Amino acid sequence: MYGYRGKRLRVDLSSKKVTVEEIPVGHLKKWLGGRGLNSELLYREVGPEVEPFSPENRLVFGVGPLTGTFAPSSGRCTVTTKSPIQDPPGFGDSNMGGHWGAELKYTGHDQLIIQGKAESPVYLYIHNDQVEIRDAEHLWGKNIPQTDAMIKEELNNYDIHIAIIGPAGENRVRYACMMSDVYRAAGRCGMGAVMGSKNLKAVALRGTTPVEIARPKEFFKICAQAREKLKQDLMAQMLYDQGTLLLTMPANYEQGWLCWRNFQKGHHPDGRLLSGENHRDNFLAHREGCFACSISCGRFSKISKGKYAGEITGGPEYETLAGIGPRIGLLDPASIIHNNKLVNELGMDSCSCGAAIAWAMECYEKGLLTQEDTDGLVLKWGDQELIDKLIKMIASRRGFGDVLAEGAHYAAKHFNRGQYYTMTIKGHDMSQDDPRGLGFAFGIGFATGRRGGDHLQGLPCLELTGGFYPGLVKKILGTSEAEDRLSKVKKPEMEKYSEDVKAVGDCLTQCSFTHSWSFAVLPEDMAKMVSSATGIDFSADELLKIGGRIVHLERAYWNRLLVGRLEDKSPRRFTEEPMPDGPNKGVLFPEDELIPLYYQVRGWDNETGFPKAEILKEYDLPQVADELEKYRTRYLKKINNSAECES
Amino acid sequence: MAQKVLMVDPSKCTGCRTCEMACSLYNEQKCSPVLSGIRIIKFEAKGMNFPTVCSHCSKPQCMSACPAGAIVHDKVTGAVIINETDCIGCHKCLQSCPFGQINFHPEKEAAFKCHLCGGDPVCVKYCPSGALTYVFADEYMMSKRRELNMKFTVMEG
Repeated sequence: MYGYRGKRLRVDLSSKKVTVEEIPVGHLKKWLGGRGLNSELLYREVGPEVEPFSPENRLVFGVGPLTGTFAPSSGRCTVTTKSPIQDPPGFGDSNMGGHWGAELKYTGHDQLIIQGKAESPVYLYIHNDQVEIRDAEHLWGKNIPQTDAMIKEELNNYDIHIAIIGPAGENRVRYACMMSDVYRAAGRCGMGAVMGSKNLKAVALRGTTPVEIARPKEFFKICAQAREKLKQDLMAQMLYDQGTLLLTMPANYEQGWLCWRNFQKGHHPDGRLLSGENHRDNFLAHREGCFACSISCGRFSKISKGKYAGEITGGPEYETLAGIGPRIGLLDPASIIHNNKLVNELGMDSCSCGAAIAWAMECYEKGLLTQEDTDGLVLKWGDQELIDKLIKMIASRRGFGDVLAEGAHYAAKHFNRGQYYTMTIKGHDMSQDDPRGLGFAFGIGFATGRRGGDHLQGLPCLELTGGFYPGLVKKILGTSEAEDRLSKVKKPEMEKYSEDVKAVGDCLTQCSFTHSWSFAVLPEDMAKMVSSATGIDFSADELLKIGGRIVHLERAYWNRLLVGRLEDKSPRRFTEEPMPDGPNKGVLFPEDELIPLYYQVRGWDNETGFPKAEILKEYDLPQVADELEKYRTRYLKKINNSAECES
Repeated sequence: MAQKVLMVDPSKCTGCRTCEMACSLYNEQKCSPVLSGIRIIKFEAKGMNFPTVCSHCSKPQCMSACPAGAIVHDKVTGAVIINETDCIGCHKCLQSCPFGQINFHPEKEAAFKCHLCGGDPVCVKYCPSGALTYVFADEYMMSKRRELNMKFTVMEG
């Protein structure tokens, strides 16, 4: 088989049974790869009744037709599960860079499915078609770098690639992440917690089976052209130079959407301390590239002065820097890098960890939490000693850390206080981006997102960087007005287009930065690459249709949990508190105006927010259409009940 | 006549392994690190990456070790080349290379290694970070010296 492997590996940790299943070509054509295959499997195998921490939940790793090839920035991997972070627990996936995804492909599989629960801690060692379930009792409690080193030594193989959970995952911190190659995270949606619930400490891989290419000469040429375009591309060059930290200067000064103190405002006069230039000149030890990447936005940092002198860590990238920095009132880059090291090594999502701390700090500021609630801790914005302590308390679920380990949403529920200050959507914390400044297409993506507060739903950078590509936005949307972040024109269309492209990229698996931040790789280029790699001819339109199909299916996953229109809601701060200062002073996110328009563009019903039956059929999902009917009726009842409660 | 050499600079390498993909796809029509003549050694926890590739020695130990006379110098590029049809698959060259730069082809059952792509190595062409260069030794060393001495001019200025 070309491009693909056509096989999925299933490991049941309860029965210790390992099976290999064929994936039919028709199925690959319909779901394309990584994210598509995973979302379909989750929809089919993990129904509304399954609890995220139950053995019936699946942890699915998926790669695509371009993974492990010469295609630029194509070594990624999508991890999918029913996530514990949202309320109700719902659709969760997380996209991981590094080299693990490519290695999975080299073992000869497109997907790895883990189900069941081991009796005691174990780790998996997959060497091509050999699968070993090995004892991990001695690794339990160890942090990420320790575990990586111990497994490599134990297997006497230093070229394996290992995905690992830290103590946070073992303790089921709801936003625990999984780390691969030590510093690359499948960060969001609590992948590590689900892995911990299965008593699975790590998955080590070594693969040596080559990926066959249908038309190798043509494929080489197409990839080489795409690489040349990326080399000349301004966005890609800036990402190489400063990493995603290039965002902090515009986010803070020109555009004003930095999440200062739990999104109280979008700007701080000393924001330049966090600039990409400052990091590059004073902290950057090394630039790091994921597999076959032609951008290399990854950072490796070293602190050379002060209290944390000598510490090294992978990162930070923008979301981490802002999440455990300005969001919790911290502006000292060395402290932020130290915090990044902590969350990396303990295995926690820096977004949600920062979000939980930020929520607690704001509640404390407003008098909603007191020392009685916090085990005597005084929660002061930007208090680095406290933050260091809190991060460790959360990972080990000690004292007040045990409550914060549940995430901001569940912590507020626990105290029945401070709900207004949980910056969450569907229970999942916002990433560090404020739609009151970042842009309105992003805002739509946050409110309706398949993971909750998530900038990667569509990553509609057309409104952020699209203007650097003359004529691009006009070509796609028919007007260049949409280049303006805070214009409402064509934003629902922009978000839909971006979501479809992003879904395709996540299937292939090609990094968003090549096609949704930089626009060097367009859907036509993806179509050429995947066609010559697999020998199956896909047009750009066909790819985008698959992208749309995936978005509809993930939406249906939520709808089955009776989540729809009512739950597509941004934190009230974005729609009710005008931005208090900075360049966007007075701006609100026009949610009520844009969401119905987005539904219309998507073919979703305005009353329920469910995809209409005819659109599901148009996207070749007739069974999903039939299944959703009964949930639609139940959801209408839910709407009526909630209207009665309000009146 | 002076010949170009393939130089590696680990301080610039981002560890992306694009070189491995370019090499295996171009030379073997498949994508796999194990079919590549150049390999990256990664120390993930320390954030260090080292590209490793054949040095194309003037007095190659692999050539002396080969009982079949399958290893020769390319007259044009100076590359040390393994003649696949003459190779008897005895692994002697793999053992003798002090830098561990010879591989064994899993399907062809013959040794293989970097051959400089006939004088235009694809790994260099597609290395995104400039860690790999194919240059005349003297020019490479002069530019290195210049870079080093540039620091002093900056200090004085």
